[in-house]
This record gives sequence, C-alpha cells and structure tokens, in this order.
Amino acid sequence: MKIMSYWGSVNGRGRSMAKKLIELKDITKMYDGTAVVDHINLYINENEFITLLGPSGCGKTTTLRMIGGFEKPDSGEVVMNGAVVNDIPPYERPINTVFQRYALFPHLNVYDNIAFGLRNQKVPKAEIAERVENALKMVSLPNFALRKVANLSGGQMQRVAIARAIVNKPKILLLDEPLAALDLKLRQNMQYELKEMQRKLGITFVYVTHDQEEALTMSDTIVVMKDGVIQQIGTPTGIYNEPKNRFVARFIGESNILDGVYVRQNLVSFMGAEFDCVDTQFADGEPVDVVIRPEDLDIIDAVGAKLIGEVSSSIFRGVHFELCVMVQGKEFVIHTYENRKVGEHVGLRVDSYEIHLMKVEHVEH
Amino acid sequence: MNIKKLGKLALPYLVWMLVLVGIPLLMIFILSFMNTDGVSFAGATWTTAAWEKMFTLADTTNLQILGYTFLTAFVATVICFLIGYPMAYIVARSPFSNKFVILILTIIPMWSNSLLRNVALKNILSESNILDSLLSRIGLSFSIVFANQDQATFISIVIGLVLTFLPFMILPIYTVIEKIDESLLEASMDLGANRVRTFAKVTFPLSMKGVTTGIIMVFLPCFSGFAIQKLLSSGTVYVLGSLIEVNYIHDINFVSMLSIVILVLIFGSMMIVNKVDKEGATLV
Amino acid sequence: MGVRKKEPGRITRYLRRPEVEKVLQSIANVLKYAFFAFFMFLMYLPIIVIAIQSFNESTGLIYQFTGFTFDHWKNVLTFNLDSSLMKAISTTLLVALLATGISTVLGTIIAIGIHSLPQKKRQGMVFLNQVPILNADIITGISLMFVFKIVAEVIPGVFGIPSLLIAHVFFCIPYVVLSVLPKLAELDDNLYDAALDLYCKPAVGITKVIIPAIMPGILTGMLIAFTMSIDDFLISFFNAGQVNNLSIYIYGGYNRRLAPEVYAYNTILSTVIIVALIAMYVSSSLKKRKNLKREPRHA
Repeated sequence: MKIMSYWGSVNGRGRSMAKKLIELKDITKMYDGTAVVDHINLYINENEFITLLGPSGCGKTTTLRMIGGFEKPDSGEVVMNGAVVNDIPPYERPINTVFQRYALFPHLNVYDNIAFGLRNQKVPKAEIAERVENALKMVSLPNFALRKVANLSGGQMQRVAIARAIVNKPKILLLDEPLAALDLKLRQNMQYELKEMQRKLGITFVYVTHDQEEALTMSDTIVVMKDGVIQQIGTPTGIYNEPKNRFVARFIGESNILDGVYVRQNLVSFMGAEFDCVDTQFADGEPVDVVIRPEDLDIIDAVGAKLIGEVSSSIFRGVHFELCVMVQGKEFVIHTYENRKVGEHVGLRVDSYEIHLMKVEHVEH
Repeated sequence: MNIKKLGKLALPYLVWMLVLVGIPLLMIFILSFMNTDGVSFAGATWTTAAWEKMFTLADTTNLQILGYTFLTAFVATVICFLIGYPMAYIVARSPFSNKFVILILTIIPMWSNSLLRNVALKNILSESNILDSLLSRIGLSFSIVFANQDQATFISIVIGLVLTFLPFMILPIYTVIEKIDESLLEASMDLGANRVRTFAKVTFPLSMKGVTTGIIMVFLPCFSGFAIQKLLSSGTVYVLGSLIEVNYIHDINFVSMLSIVILVLIFGSMMIVNKVDKEGATLV
Repeated sequence: MGVRKKEPGRITRYLRRPEVEKVLQSIANVLKYAFFAFFMFLMYLPIIVIAIQSFNESTGLIYQFTGFTFDHWKNVLTFNLDSSLMKAISTTLLVALLATGISTVLGTIIAIGIHSLPQKKRQGMVFLNQVPILNADIITGISLMFVFKIVAEVIPGVFGIPSLLIAHVFFCIPYVVLSVLPKLAELDDNLYDAALDLYCKPAVGITKVIIPAIMPGILTGMLIAFTMSIDDFLISFFNAGQVNNLSIYIYGGYNRRLAPEVYAYNTILSTVIIVALIAMYVSSSLKKRKNLKREPRHA
C-alpha cells in the first residue's frame, strides 16, 4: 500500500505543474455571522476530477456554489483563466451544474430540458437537435426525448440532469451530490459511468459528496473539508494512506488511532512497546498520533507478540471478517480472512511501513 | 432560489400593507376617543362619548344589539361546525377516485351572488313561496310556518348565515383531514384503538388546525356582517354591522368604536391562527 | 380498550357476526351519504330557486310562478337591461376582471419575494398577508374608506371605480399569494439557479422557469380572486362612492322586487364558470391520460 502512495505523491507533484483552470484564493463566506467557508485556498486543473469531500455542513456545497457563481465570496478571489470572476453571474460562466435532486424543469419534457441552455445561447435549431440527441446517447437515454420529466425514475432524472449540463460543452462541470438519491447498485454503476464520461469529454469535474467511497473511486484529487476549512488535499491513495490528522483518518475508511511517542528516527512507541516505522519528519520524543488501518493488522500467536488481546466480537462482512480485539483496554478493529473465536487470546502484528504517524492536533473535537 | 436578491420583491408589499392596514387601524383607535367631523381633526376634542353610547346601562339598546349579534353568530357557527365537519370528513375519506369534483360541488354555490342567494332563501322561507307555487301545480305544498315573527326572523337569519358560510367551514377542515397520513390511522388501529377511538385520538386532534380556521372564517363574517341579516328580516333587525352601516357617514367616532369591538375579536383569532397555522396553509 | 378483557355480551357478539357487520356497514354508508347529500341539497336550494326565478314569467309577485319564459335570459344576453342593473353588472365585471388581473400579477411577484426571504421574515410576511383574509370585511371596508377619505382631500375623484378597484386588488392579492406560496415551496430549491446556470438572465429565469412551474398555483389564486371580487358586498359598500356593483344593487332592493334579469344574469354567470372549469378539467385529464398512454411508465 505504501508503494502506491509513493506513486500518489509523484502525481501530487505533477498536479502542481498542470494547467490551472480555477483558483480559489483565500475565500471566506459567512452566513449569519459564522464562516461556512473559512479562508480556503485551492486550485483546480484542466481535465481534473476533483472531489470536495466532507460531512454535511462542512462548506463543500457552498464552495461549489461560489465556483458556479450562485454565491459571492465575502472575501478572497475566484480566479478563472487568470481573471477574477467574483462578480460574473452564473449565466456568463463557462460552467454547468448537475444539482442535488436534479432541479429538472417540471413543466418541460426531456428534450426541452436538455435544449434549454442551448436555446438561451441562441444555438441554431438543427444544431440543437443534433446536440441533444448526442447528449441523450451519451447518458444512454436514446428515445427519451419526448418523455415527461415527472414520469422518469430517479436514475433517469439523474441522467437527464447530466445531459442537460454537458450538452452545453462547459469547461467545468459541477456536480453537487448527484448520486445521493440513488440506490446502492445504481450508485455504483453511475460512479463508473461518470468517471468514463469525464475521460471521454475531457472536461474538468468538480464533484461534491459526503460519501468517502464515492470520492476514493472516482477522483483524481480529493479535498477533505471540515467546518469550512480544508483538512487535506491529495490523491485518493495519498489521503487514505497518509491522512494528515485524526479527522481525515476517521472520515476516510476505518482506522485504529493510538497515542504514541516518536522515540527517534524509525522508531515509535505506543501501547507500551516500540515499533519500527518509516516516517521521519518528527522530533525525537515528540508525541504523535499513530494510525493503523484495520486491514494492515495481522493476527498472530499470542506468544511473543508485542500486542496481545482478547477477541471481543467477530462479524462476517462478506469478503472478510471484522474482529474487535481488546488490547490493554483499547479496542482494535481488524479485517482478516480467517475467523477467530470470541474470547480467544491473540497477538497482533503490524509491518513498519503500515504504521502511519500524524502530528498531534491540539484542537480535537 | 437566490435568496437575498428576490426577497426585495416583497418589500413594496410591506409598505402597501402598512399604508392600507396600519394607518387606518391607528385612525380607528384614535377616532374612537374623539369627536371629529368626518376624518378631519379640526376642532376635535378627546371624549369617550362613542364608548358610552355603547356601554351604558341607561340605554341598553346597543348592548342588546351586541348580544343579539353574538347569539346569531354563535349559533350559526356551531351549526356550521356540526354540519361542516362531517361533510368535510365524508369527502376527505370518501373512496371516490375524484375528490376534486366533490370539492368543486361545495364551492359552486359561491359563484352565485351570496346576497341573491339570501333573497332566494327569503323567498323559500316565506309562507307563500315560489316552491309552493310550483309544487301546488302537482298537488303538493311546501311551507315553513314559524311560531311567531321573532322566531321566524332569528331562524331565518341563522339559516341564511349557515348556508352562506358553510363552505368556509368545510374547505379548511377538508384540507387538513385530506393531508392526514393514512398510515397514522392504521398505526392507531394497529395499536389497539377502534375506529371511534382512532377518530377521537388521532384524526380529530390532527384536524384542529382546520377547525380553528373554519370557526374563525365563519364566526367573523357572521358577527360583523349586516346585509344577510337585513335581507332576511326585511330590515326589522339591527345587528352590530347595521349600526356601522347607519352611522358610517355621520358618526365616524361611533363607527370607529364599533370597529374596535370587532377588532378585539379578530385580534384574538389571528393570534390563534398564527399559533396553529404559521404558513396559512388552511386559508385557501 | 381496558387492560382487562371482558367477554363481549350477546348483543355485541351478534353485531360482530360478519353478515350483520356488513349490513350495518352499508346502512352507515347510506346514512353518511344521505347526510352529505341533504346538506348539499340545502346549499343548492337557493341556487335552484334563483334558476327558477330566471324563467319566471310573473312580473308582479316573486312568490308566484305564473309561467315559463326565456325573456329574462334573452334580455341579459342582448344587454337589454334597465340602466341601473346594467351599470351594476358592468361595474362588477369590470372591477372583477381588472382586480383579478392586477392582483394575479402582483400577488405572484410578491409570493416569489416572500418565498425568497429568510425564514423569520417570511413568517412575518405570511402573517401580514393573512391580515386582510382574517380581518372582517367590514373592518377592511372601513379602513380603506378612511384612507380614501384622506386621499380624496387631494384627489377628489378617487371615490368610485378607482377606489373600488384598489380595494378589490387589496383583498384579492392575499389569496393569490397564499395560493402561490405552497407551489413555490414544492419547487426544487435549485430550480432558479439551474435556469441561471443554463444561461438565463435573472428576469428570464423567473418568466421561463419559475412562473410555468408554479402555474397551477397562479391559476388557483386567480380563480379565488375572481370569485371573491364578483361576490363582494361589504368592502365595496364602503368604497364605491356613488357607483353600485351588483351586490350593492341587490342589497339596495331588499324590500322591493328585483329586476328578474338579476336571476338570469346570476344563473348565466355561474353556469359559464362551471362549464369553463369542467372543460378545463376534462381537457387536462384527457391530456394526462394521453400522456400516460404514450409514455408507459417503466419500473
């Protein structure tokens, strides 16, 4: 896993060299005296699939709406192709949006919904017909042109909403939790399709979601947000393997987070034992947060193990078992392929490169 | 929607309402304590004469009128409720696929001039009436005979008020009953309540919002109007509204005072409606 | 429902037998609908009498049906009416049509504005909007009369059609606002943003997207406004100056015989409204059925 994250960081370096399409510079947005977006800095590259990820109320949708032009930042600049666009209204931005719950026009049929933007841009009739047809094909809804919007299923509405946006050939497509209302199976299919669509169209996708799995599956870059502040920007593997703080570690995937001390280079101590590690950027004797993913812990014989505990529960999760092991009063979650009985005494082992250390944050909610 | 920008559209309405509601209310209050010549304040003085004209024991005519007005309005409202609630309930819970049609049926009478309907009602309630005249041709007769004139007047007025304002009781009650989630009733039955108990413990409490609106929408016009009463009594009965009608040109101060009597009632009912129905969902 | 279970008595047991229960159920149903039909009939009885009167030949006594005639209908349809009735009817219709039009436009704009306000302010405005509806008509009438009396000091000609029209617009707007607001609440919050996103300027976004989407609410409001306006007596009474509308005309004749054309006019008007509504309803439900046929719903 660390190997992949190494590639991730290479990508990260590559990211800053690609062409920047939009830049958010020190953006703040207040609602009723509280900052929903708090001094964020972010750039979005051409052809990038970037995801704003965070729990509800973290400011991700507001950030998206400021890119779309639906909200004006209270301070800071939105820069697009080198020009400040704070005051450019949405109808003059080369950006289209797929809204949460779709916002299809209920009084228009599928064709008129998709043609809506083109008509406003005074595109010739024949061209409109062709482009709408292509857009419908793109979202696999041919022959749906004359349907009433109200008679569509959730998945179909979703596709119409996407078609209505991409038919305008925007430079950037904003997607605000577009899959939130779909059921699991459909959501997984759509994730794949969206990614494929983005590759084919070659346009930038800015995607908002609270679903970490969705973000990991589709994104080139993930921006993790909390309380209006960006917690971490990185590739999916980078963020998964090297979360910057407890919040990111907990929000993305499951984690065992432990208090530890960085003894010296390549050595960390936690749970009363010392372990080899690969992280280096700490001072000797500095307290650190230790992150170990459930799949990185191996179950071994209790005899001679550094971590010894008792299995407190075991749940079959389909591919793996999820075990809880109590070690010195601290519960570890472990994903393993072999089951262990509840009450059994087991040892835990972790490879040095699976131990991730984070700087201790003083403000912990 | 783009919240701050479009909100501006409501601002002129605020001004319009303040001018057409706020200023007159203030005037009514002030004028009731003065003796003015019309709306001109020149040479006017403060006095409680208008109030004494109403609330004095030396001459109880006006107090009796107030009592009679309240009685007719109260009786009409109670009857409207007793008839209107079951009707609304029957429509809302009917198995008919199209309640819209039945609903329209309750609204249709409103498209006939309400005063003309009361003129027709007066005809029906007269001893020799048009229905009797028609029915006599096939050997039948139709006539309602009252014990005395006072009784005839009172009953006629109550019937007139009930038939005119019944839709205003049915519609809000229908609206709320219709919206009650069917599964709530099933849940209630599932939890061991029989039909009667389900109605008493679930349906009725949930329909209170509509009942409140209905009662207010019926009681207020019954209490403050005068035309129906005048038509059905051939001008022999005075109600609170009649006092306003008679005095509105010459004695603005008395009219203002009478308005306050009505306003007190309205204020109370607005407080109630604002408590039970914040978005005004039962008013249309 | 007590905790203690009591053995049902003999009568209860008899009544609970399925065949008995079925009979009881149908009796209850008959009673229910008889109750409904009876009071429905009572509500319609005056209208039936009005219709009868519109064909009554009798010129002297309204309590006698002396013979059948179409004359009153003919007189209404050929505008052959005595001048005071003619004036009353034309005033009523003119004011109703103008007031309905104006209040529908203004009410819709105001509703959009109110809907866009933050919650606290919105509730305040909704409450304010209810004032003219909950207020007794007589108070509204007197209040407006006071305002117009002051205005008349500056503009002497205000009493008459102008005051009548403004008064009607005043009490019609709240109904339009109340009909439109729930439709706006049903809309997707992002609908207007979607229009802007798809290159509509703000004003165009409202006319092209918001207005069509809330059309049913606007039409309802319009219908209510018209209904309230043609039937109004109290507010008009205090604000009409020397002008009469139909209600004032009828009221003025409480002790004498009304021109028989009033009955014919009233019957014709309500018939027209009813027929128009039925036609609209039928055509819309036909359209719906056609759509359903053409577009079978996929699961």
